[in-house]
Amino acid sequence: MHKPTRAAGRSTWKTRSGDVIVVLLVLAAAAASILLVSRANAGEKGSIAVVEVGGREVRRFTLGPGQASRRFTVEGTQGTSTFEIKDGRVRMVESACRDKVCIGMGWVDTAGRAIVCLPNRVTIRITGGREPGVDTVSE
Amino acid sequence: MAPTRRVTNLALLVSLGLVLSVIEASLPPLLPVPGAKLGLANIATVIALYLFGPGMALEVTVIRATLGGLLRGSVVGLVLSLSGGIASTLMMILLYVTLKRFMSVIGVSVAGAVTHNVFQLAAAYLLVRQPALFYYLPYLILAAVPTGLFVGLASRRVGRSLEALSLEARY
Repeated sequence: MHKPTRAAGRSTWKTRSGDVIVVLLVLAAAAASILLVSRANAGEKGSIAVVEVGGREVRRFTLGPGQASRRFTVEGTQGTSTFEIKDGRVRMVESACRDKVCIGMGWVDTAGRAIVCLPNRVTIRITGGREPGVDTVSE
Repeated sequence: MAPTRRVTNLALLVSLGLVLSVIEASLPPLLPVPGAKLGLANIATVIALYLFGPGMALEVTVIRATLGGLLRGSVVGLVLSLSGGIASTLMMILLYVTLKRFMSVIGVSVAGAVTHNVFQLAAAYLLVRQPALFYYLPYLILAAVPTGLFVGLASRRVGRSLEALSLEARY
């Protein structure tokens, strides 16, 4: 197959050792961040769920084991978010956002963790109980 | 390159990026993590960088992210994709310019993907001020490896073909 000759040509596309190094560095960074986050997040089950819209608290729920399933709705910037509280855990079940990332986050029950729906600006944050310095991660 | 040619190529690359981001938006999210995306639109930026140079790459990213955000009508989305896009393009330009001899489009693309994801998370944090978001940092860094490789391989394939067509016509 004929290819036109060019000065810089093919060599720019060929895989090089730097490519492998970049991938290894990224994997190392991922491992380091897992250690960092797991250490900061070795939290216990939280006792309170705080619901916020655009950073402003709108409701607060007590979490406890053996609770029957309850559903609540909250109005975000794009529409309604419905979440479920059951047996000391919270999850998003319906959301007006487009990507539904928040629903995919599943159940959350550990202090310091949160379900975040960026498009709708709704967050449900678990607190209460020991919250071992989540802030250290953000610095 | 003649100005008309340059503008035409820029427009082609921006449209390519826009079409790719529309396709990507119709796919289900890769991971239930804010900011984790395949980054198909980045193919346009990578091609711009390798065939036309840093200036073109930055222009493609800024125009594509701005137009994409306006088309979707989401200010939040615009801010997130602009910040992630500019940061990742600058990182790719830096590596491309300084380490061209040791690194191909694959490594550059992976580095760009990591930068993109980390900056999106940082921007998302600034929006909602929720420290718990950083719990997703490992997933975002890890996700950048397969997505960056995919974008790099796709760009290499497209770039080679375009080069063979000498579409860039630099001289």
